[in-house]
Amino acid sequence: MARFIIRSIISTIVTMLLVSIALFFLVDVGSGDISVKILGVFATPEQRASYRAQLGLDAPAWQRYIDWLVGNDWRAERKVGYPLVTAMNPQTGEADWWADIDGQLTRWTMEEGQLLTLKRQEDGNTTKHLSSGAWELDEEGNETFWGVDTNNNAVKWQRGEGAEVWVLTKAGLRKEGDGPQQYIPLRKGLLRGDPGISLQFGRPVAVTLIPRIRNTLVLAGVAFSIIMPLALVLGILAGINEGKPLDRIISITSLGFTATPEFVTGIFLIIIFGIWLKVLPAVAIFTSPNAIFEDPKLLALPVLTLTAVELGYVARMTRASMVEVMDSPYIRTAIIKGMPKWRVVTKHAIRNALMAPITIIMLHVNWLVGGLVVVEVIFGYPGLGYYIYRSAIFGDYNAIEAAAMVTVAIAILTRLIGDLAYTLLNPRIRYA
Amino acid sequence: MEKPRITKRQMAETHIAIPDAYDKLEQGVISRREFIRFATLLGMSAGAASFLAACGGGTEATPEPGEAPSGQIKRGGTWTSSMQLQLLDHPARLSWVEGANIVRQINEYLTLTGPENITRPYLLERWEASDDVLTWDLYLREGVTWNNGDEFNADDVMFTFGEWLNPDVGSSMLGLMAYMSGMQDVEKVDDYHVRLHLQFGDIAVPEHLFHYPAVVLHRDFEGDIIRQPVGTGAFTLEEYAEGERAVFKRREDYWQMGVDGDPLPYLDELIYVSTDKDAGVAALQSGQVDSLYDPRPTDFQALQDAEGITVRPASTAQCLVGRMRVDLEPWDDVRVRNAMKLCQDRAEILRLAYFGQGDLSLDAHVAPVHPAYCEKDIPEYDPEAARALLESYAEEKGIDLPLRVTLATKNDQAEPEIAQALKELASPAGFDIQLDITEPAGYWDRWTEVDLGITSWTHRPLATMVLPLAYTEESIGAWNETRWTDTEFEGILREAQGTLDVEARRGLMCQIEDIMQERGPIFNSFWKSVWNATASEFKNVEAHPTAYDLLYEVWKDV
Repeated sequence: MARFIIRSIISTIVTMLLVSIALFFLVDVGSGDISVKILGVFATPEQRASYRAQLGLDAPAWQRYIDWLVGNDWRAERKVGYPLVTAMNPQTGEADWWADIDGQLTRWTMEEGQLLTLKRQEDGNTTKHLSSGAWELDEEGNETFWGVDTNNNAVKWQRGEGAEVWVLTKAGLRKEGDGPQQYIPLRKGLLRGDPGISLQFGRPVAVTLIPRIRNTLVLAGVAFSIIMPLALVLGILAGINEGKPLDRIISITSLGFTATPEFVTGIFLIIIFGIWLKVLPAVAIFTSPNAIFEDPKLLALPVLTLTAVELGYVARMTRASMVEVMDSPYIRTAIIKGMPKWRVVTKHAIRNALMAPITIIMLHVNWLVGGLVVVEVIFGYPGLGYYIYRSAIFGDYNAIEAAAMVTVAIAILTRLIGDLAYTLLNPRIRYA
Repeated sequence: MEKPRITKRQMAETHIAIPDAYDKLEQGVISRREFIRFATLLGMSAGAASFLAACGGGTEATPEPGEAPSGQIKRGGTWTSSMQLQLLDHPARLSWVEGANIVRQINEYLTLTGPENITRPYLLERWEASDDVLTWDLYLREGVTWNNGDEFNADDVMFTFGEWLNPDVGSSMLGLMAYMSGMQDVEKVDDYHVRLHLQFGDIAVPEHLFHYPAVVLHRDFEGDIIRQPVGTGAFTLEEYAEGERAVFKRREDYWQMGVDGDPLPYLDELIYVSTDKDAGVAALQSGQVDSLYDPRPTDFQALQDAEGITVRPASTAQCLVGRMRVDLEPWDDVRVRNAMKLCQDRAEILRLAYFGQGDLSLDAHVAPVHPAYCEKDIPEYDPEAARALLESYAEEKGIDLPLRVTLATKNDQAEPEIAQALKELASPAGFDIQLDITEPAGYWDRWTEVDLGITSWTHRPLATMVLPLAYTEESIGAWNETRWTDTEFEGILREAQGTLDVEARRGLMCQIEDIMQERGPIFNSFWKSVWNATASEFKNVEAHPTAYDLLYEVWKDV
């Protein structure tokens, strides 16, 4: 068993790595120019180029993938010459990057053509000092300096006759040959727990992703705990009453609901309960982060929609499995030897009949977590599926990658749970 | 009591052209609205201009619609709206109105173009333009404070101009203010007076100052409004969860006063919830939200008769322009272009594509809501005339009709419907139109490159703001999607850009519209209407042509 679990973990890691590579390059090929999406179609080519450089999108795709995976602070450290560390910004609650100069956290900024040093104090505030003697001559004879700016980039500043850039001064803006020439947006990489900045929202992916995962887990959890027991009971009832009116009623009703796509069921439920009768909230409007806990009614229609779609699927599967088991010789033997029917069903039939539904159920857990795009869009529910969908449309590779890693992990975890559940249901199954 | 009077000399002190305009108003040559627009454009305060207009027009002064006596106003309450919330960091970089609607509650603009398309001072006390409109004096309002306690002054304005004109920021203001070569053209005269020195004259400076990314930023702004929500506006940002929700609270010490003598705003709290449009419509119908950002025509259909919801329309200069690349065959031939223009049954296209909700258009990029619009007959649908033109073209080229062309557009607003209607309408004339319809992002990747396309153009308050963007020599390589240039047209346009007098400008617009209809590169059937759909208990709500949420004076009647 231990070997089985270790093997599963290794295969999980390999799968996640392969998925991340495939996704990264697919998104890269498919998403077009992100600076157009952010700056709008009316930005000039110079503005776009500058903005792409600031986002680090001018680097080749393989470089960005490695940055995404293992970070780039080690790479930037060699340029800056000091260890780069993060410190919490008390104002935003997000981590900022600093250069650690003998224990003093430092950043730099250009003002009026002067390089200024910003030193971080204990309380999170900074003090400003004129920076002297920091410039170095490069091969082309330009005075340059690598440092960390206030936007969490490692930046190469240039003084003198460099490219024509705009420098902001207190009195406005001045055009001169000074300014930032190259950017490395600092990140730790996923392996060190930093999924990066969402291009779509400009915030750390984790800040948005975690509430989304929570919301989806709540929706999926509630739906799962209603659908699965109900479906199993209905499926078993139908299975042991094969061909009788009860079976027909259960089968036809559940099949009818399942055959109706969720965007039809959802809209009808919204119109009937939300707009005509006004008894349930039509859509999931989150006026506060914890809206689903403050007003659980928000979950009613999304869960009902999911139930309608899912119920028939699992119930039919259970029914078929149950019918097959009830036909098998050992059940017939048990009945013939005079065992009460309810005992036959509970003791002998259900265990064996659950093998097939377990597979389906575990697959559906995965679908419930990452695949609820349609239901989440219809009800305006801020969940993971909708998040992945919007990120994919935008080409926000940091967000897609992080979300995909979560869903891949869940997919593999549920498969593992399914595998373990088999051994409980049927002791003949062993993993070595 | 003696009535207050403004003499012609006082008018002339504001600007030399105002007394002339006043004469025209008295003679009935221009309407009150045009006079207000003209006088405020020249730096007269909106109040004084409205007063003059009321005296001069001979018509009675009626209170603005939606204006309530002070006794009725109620304070308090929360206003909730459904609107997509996207990337929001540097306001100057905004490329979506949704983000601007967030920023607008915290920060303010130097000017304000109201729902009636009139621009007035906002954070400015007034402005003055020189006769050649090359020098603009902006006088800042005193006594305005930022929500961090600092006093608003010229340093903030200088800083903000610096951000707009810095290419590294990526602001669309940079392209808009092409008449500024850099910060050397912005002069701080004193703490409350900033002077702009334009490279070439442009009358649209006040309108540009209300372009949606143009909020005034605090002088210490570091580039992220969510981390640093410092503004002069009436609300403060409490929470911003990207893609989810934005929450604002009323600010107690805002500088503008309500009709009851206390500071605005009337509402206590604003909440924007980010949902898909369809979910937003359902939420509005079920009373979960009070308003919906920029309803689509189908939403208008669903909401117009709904109980408890008031839908207010506004005419705009927003349109879906059919544009033809004049550097490519067959559109390089004016006969083919004009044949396509004749294939529009404009009323029918408006009905099919937009439920009849809009104003019919000429084939010129000048809308009836533009102050200097020159009224002309709407061209008729004439497939026979179009066929005759195409036949003469085909004969000369030695080709057979139908002429096969591909019309590219995006599945976004009403473009597919227009394209489909046009395909049918143009078929008797000898066009065989193939449709190439993609998702919006797919079209925006190639909008300047396709031979024949339908592009959505947003509302701009003045025609002289939009025409230079797409129909001039220097806009080739930028937004001139048709590559059309015309020396005569450009000459008249330059003249119009420096002509403050609305009547004189209308004369120029007549010529501009004629040229565009006669040999221009676009066809356009209608100007879209937009709507504001808000729960009926909210008062003082107005529909804005660009879907701006102006909420400071909105109040809730509970």
